This record gives sequence, C-alpha cells and structure tokens, in this order.
Amino acid sequence: MNILEANNVTKKYAAHMALDNVSIAIPKQSIFGLLGPNGAGKTTLIRIINQIIMCDEGDIAIGGEKLHPKHIRSIGYLPEERGLYKKMKVGEQLMYLAQLKGLSTPEARKRIKHWLDKLGLTEWAGKKVEDLSKGMAQKIQFIATVIHEPEILILDEPFSGFDPVNANLIKDEIFELREKGATVIFSTHRMESVEQLCDDIALINKSQKILDGTKKEIKNSYKSDKYVVGYKGSLSGLSTNLNVLNTQELEDGYMESTVQAGKGDSPNNVLKELINLIEVHSFVEVVPSINDIFIDIVEGGQS
Amino acid sequence: MKQIFLVLKREYLTRVKKKSFLLATILTPLIMPAIILTIVYFATQEKESRSDKILVLDKSGIFIDSFDVTSFDFEYINGDLEAAKDDLLEKGAFGLLYIPTIDMSDASVINFSGFELYSKTNPSVNSIERIEKIIRNKLEDVKLENSGLDAQVIENLKVRVDLDSFNISDTGEAKESNSKLSFAIGYGTGFLIYMFIFIYGSQIMQSVLDEKTSRIVEVIVSSVKPFQLMMGKVLGVGAVGFTQLLIWFVLIGGLSTVGLSIMAGNSDAIMEAASQQVPGEAIEQLTDQQKTVAEIQGMIASVPVVKILLCFLFFFLGAYFLYGAMYAAIGSAVDSIQDAQQFMFPIIIPIIAAIMAMFFVLDDPNGGLAVTLSLIPFTSPIIMMARIPFGVPDWQLALSMVLLVAGFMGTIWMAGRVYRVGILMYGVKVNWKTIAKWFTMKV
Repeated sequence: MNILEANNVTKKYAAHMALDNVSIAIPKQSIFGLLGPNGAGKTTLIRIINQIIMCDEGDIAIGGEKLHPKHIRSIGYLPEERGLYKKMKVGEQLMYLAQLKGLSTPEARKRIKHWLDKLGLTEWAGKKVEDLSKGMAQKIQFIATVIHEPEILILDEPFSGFDPVNANLIKDEIFELREKGATVIFSTHRMESVEQLCDDIALINKSQKILDGTKKEIKNSYKSDKYVVGYKGSLSGLSTNLNVLNTQELEDGYMESTVQAGKGDSPNNVLKELINLIEVHSFVEVVPSINDIFIDIVEGGQS
Repeated sequence: MKQIFLVLKREYLTRVKKKSFLLATILTPLIMPAIILTIVYFATQEKESRSDKILVLDKSGIFIDSFDVTSFDFEYINGDLEAAKDDLLEKGAFGLLYIPTIDMSDASVINFSGFELYSKTNPSVNSIERIEKIIRNKLEDVKLENSGLDAQVIENLKVRVDLDSFNISDTGEAKESNSKLSFAIGYGTGFLIYMFIFIYGSQIMQSVLDEKTSRIVEVIVSSVKPFQLMMGKVLGVGAVGFTQLLIWFVLIGGLSTVGLSIMAGNSDAIMEAASQQVPGEAIEQLTDQQKTVAEIQGMIASVPVVKILLCFLFFFLGAYFLYGAMYAAIGSAVDSIQDAQQFMFPIIIPIIAAIMAMFFVLDDPNGGLAVTLSLIPFTSPIIMMARIPFGVPDWQLALSMVLLVAGFMGTIWMAGRVYRVGILMYGVKVNWKTIAKWFTMKV
C-alpha cells in the first residue's frame, strides 16, 4: 500500500519548468530516496507535498486521500535550509513548534520531556538556542521535526549539516521511527550517502523523473555482467564469451582483471571457466552504485 | 485562526517579556517630561545667567539710563564710531550698539532709523527684538512727554478682551471650545500614530527578516500558511504596541490626576466647579490654584474625550495594519536590513507628507487639503486625528473609516502575495520588477 502518491505533478515558474509530469509512489513504512542533482526539482516536489506551494497540474494523495490542509499534521519536514529562533529558549521553542503542528500543551510538554531525555538535552531546556553547540541545535531541530509523530517524515539533505556522531544518532532514530510505522523520504543530491538506507528510489533530473523502483530491482536491471577477479597466472586462452576489459598487476605476482561475461551467463559458469585457467583469489560481481546508474542514464540520454 | 493566534502569542510574549520593553514602557512617560523640563530649565537658566557685554555709543543722549536691563551687560562709551569699533574688539564685548543723533521735535515723524548693532557673531533674533523694544519704548515715552498728554489717560485707553468660544451641538447644547487644547490633542494623537508606524513597522520588518535569515521560516510555513504567519506577526507586534500605549495612558493619566489633586487640595470643590458647563460663580469661591485646576478640568471636559479615544483606537490600528503589512512584505523580500532601504522610501513618503501637512491642517482643520488628506487611507490616520478635536462632519469621518478599512485590506492582500514568495527566496537580487513578478506569481 502506498502512503503517498504523486500523479503527473507539473510546476512551472515563469520561464522555468520546475517539475515536468512527475509521478512517484511511496510504499508505507519504506525508506524512500528522492535523488537527483541540485536544481533537479526535489525541493519543489517536497514543498508541494508540504503544501507550501501548489502544483499547476496533477495531484497528490496521502493515504489514498487528496492532499488536504489536515495532512500538514501527519508530515514532519526537515528542510534543507533550516534554523531555529536563536533568542528563544529550547523548551519554549519546541512547545511553539509542537503547538503549530496541532499538539495540545500537556501532550507537547510530555513529548518534549521524553525527547530531551532521550537525546540527553534535559538540562538545556531553559537555555537559549544561541547558547547551544551546533550539534545540540541539530538535535533540537530533529526533535522539532518528529515531535508530532508524523506518518511521513521528509528529510531534505538530512546529513549535510550534521556531524558524523549526530548523523549516526539521527539514523538510528529514523530507523526506530520507521519500525513504529513512519515512512521516511530522503531527498539528497549526495546519492552515496543514503544508498544503503533506502528501500525505494526515484531519480529526478532536470525536472523529470528518469527512474524509479525498489533499489534491488534497479540495481539488478543495471547489472552489466562484469566481474573483478584477483588471481595468479595468465588469462590468455580465455574463451570468446569472456572478455578481459582491463588488467592490473598487484604485488607478489597477483593480478586483478575486470572480466565482461556474456548476457545471462551465471556467475558459477564464469567462475568455472576461470578456475580452469588461473588460481582465483577473489571473485566479485560488479554491482553499479546508484550514482553510476544515474550518470549512465543521464549521459546515455544525452548521447 | 488557531495558528494565527499561536504566532501572535509568540510574537507578543517574546517582546513583552524583554527587559528593554519594560524599561521603555515605564520610563518613557517619566523621562520625556523630565527631558523637556531639563531643556526648559537650562534654556531659562542660561538666559538669566548670561551677560553678554554690549557697548552703547549714544550720540542722541536720549538713552542715558534706558539700557539697564539685566539680560545684557550694557556699557556706555563715548567717542566716534570707528574708535568704538576698535574698542569692541579690544574689550572682547559681544556687540556695539550705535545710536545716531535723533531729532524728536517733529511729532509726526514715526519712522526712526540709523540704529546699528555691530557684533562678531550673529545676534539672535530674540536679542535684536529686545534691543528694538527698549529703543521703541524710550522713543514712545519721549514723544508722549513732548505731546503733553496725561500718561494715565493713554493707559486707560488700552482695553483687554477675552473671547470665549463655544461649540453648539445638534441638540443646541453649548460647550466651551478650546482651540489650544484641540491643537494639542490633534497634534499629540497624530504624532503618536506617526511614531508607532515607524517603531512597530520596523519591528515587524525585523521579525520577518530574522525568521528568513535564521532559516526557520521554511519549518514554520510547513505548519502554517504564509498569510497566517504574516497576520500573526502583524497582530502580535501590534498588540505589543497597544499594550505599551495602554500602560502609558494609565501612567500619564494617573500621574496627572495625582498632580492635579495635589495642586488643588480640595478636589470636591473643583469637581463642582468643573461640572458647570459655563464656568461661573462656583469658581469665584475657589482659591487661585484651585481655579487653575478647575480650568484645566473644564478644558478636558470640553473635548469629546470618549469620541477622541475611540477614533484614536480605530485610526491607530488602521494605520498600523496598513503600513505594518507593507513592512512585512519588504522584510520578506530582502536578505538584510541594508537591502531594505530602497524599498522603504515609497512607504515613508506618505507618512512624512502627512506629518508635514498636519501643521497646515491644524491651522485650517476644515480646509480642502485637510478634508482630502483625511480621506486618503495612506494619510488619513494622522490627518484625521489632527482634525477630530476641532469637530469633523460625521459623513467625512465615516467615509474616512470605510476607506481606511478598504485600504488596509488592500495592502494586507498585496503584502501577503509578495510575502508568501519572498520568504522562501534567498540570495535573489530584488528590485521592484522582481516584487511585481512575485505579486503576480502563482504558488
């Protein structure tokens, strides 16, 4: 079941096309990667989902219902451009942001306490944000995003501002929230940073969606039947259905070559043939990264 | 609505809880009179203590002992003018007054000239007037003496007249009118509105700008519609101004009541006197001091206090909404206060024009200029407040109010359209064309 569906969403700014007929479907409780370079239209799509702006054409449904102001409360949004009121106290600030998301005062108070305890910030509740370290402010920002227990969590370039320790902490929290039923949307241009986190992916380039599906499917369909072999011996005398693409000499007489197998050759068959010729030390199938796939598609589209 | 209220509450509380707000609110009504009194005190002190030396070279011999006024240190000298000029430089005196020989034999001559005042720095208008007055008085005395008339007869010819003016209401009830008080109220209320537009307008702008530069605005607009955010801000900051004003009124009202009753001693007698529509016999029984107090209270009773207060409230809020929304739009469009300057100009122009026109309006409260400017929403709050104490036809007041409401709804609507786009734009070079584009943009 899809928690969020965008159908043929189009958004135009004067002469500039920000989104061109983009459709995506995000399964419930998945971690979804909205990937693409800067300026591709990711933030525009997110703003439309958040009802900050409206699309010109197409529609968006959340949980099967057409987008409605009430849905604002079921979304937690961490924008790329983020910040807090510097002069406001941490507790008051969280209270304000929680109330804006529709929480009652006692409920908000309870949850603020819970989160501050969890992230070890309890004694900072009465401090102004400007007195906090950057890492602490980032945690506060995260709490503000999830305090109303949103069904959908949208994180725009989530790890760009976070230090590695906080980034890991936040990752753990995100997984925990997913376990509890939340759906997480990551938007980023640094594809390697979220590749291992995502179940599903949509690639956006120049305002158009160029690819989507589960990460597994996509990777499988872009497998190029290449293998990297570490070995001792010589590959000369290889049959014609295996091509050596490149070879490099490692120390102590070890070699490493990239071998192109024929379409549909199983790894076992390739390995069998290699074993007859050489002493195999390692054998790895080349699986393309999302970044490689993206570049492949974009460049393929251009040529 | 709830969202607007939440924004309003935050804007209000963060400001009111600041120490600077408390200080400004409580100290202003105390400090302002103190500053004025200090200035007045020093000005009079200086006048009395300063004794600029003026040399008097009297060729006529008429003014032997006329120049003995304390405000200047006059010193009579002899000799010719050139020598006297050297004297002036040598003695370090402020000035040299030269009086030529005067022929007083012809009684029909009324123009006298040839008096000269030399000084190193420009003498003040006041000094010149005072010296002219001394000379004039003396010449008049001499002429009076020459004419052989009895000085007492001349004195008896002078009469003094007090004109009490009354306003007649539609019911035929006569009320004492007081132009001076009307002037003071008109000027005071108009000026207050002018001041509040500037102070609180720029606070709104700063607040919008802060949210934009601290980058929290996108978090906020994912929970609140931009228009709600803007309105919450305008209303919240407005409520702060309103609170301040209320405290001032209470403080000033309280202080002056206490002041008046201390002056009066017996407040019952005053109340009785003041309650008389036309001050009459009751006042006769009071002491002089009590009379003054009664007069002041009578004056206050002569103006429609409730009407003025209600109108002030209305025009104050109207002006604030009208301009506050525009300040919010400017704050949303720019990235820093410096960039805001170029957009401030067109907003400031009508406010300045209104405050300058106010003096002409106070002079002629029902003239064409006054009526026109009190109907145009951009100037009406200041100008109408200047007119109201003098009495304004109901239809004009009603029309002005309707136009003001239409005016601020218009500016809020326009500002909202710019604001919703502007707050999410960073690092864009903004000019009037960009703003016009945002205004028409679909979001």
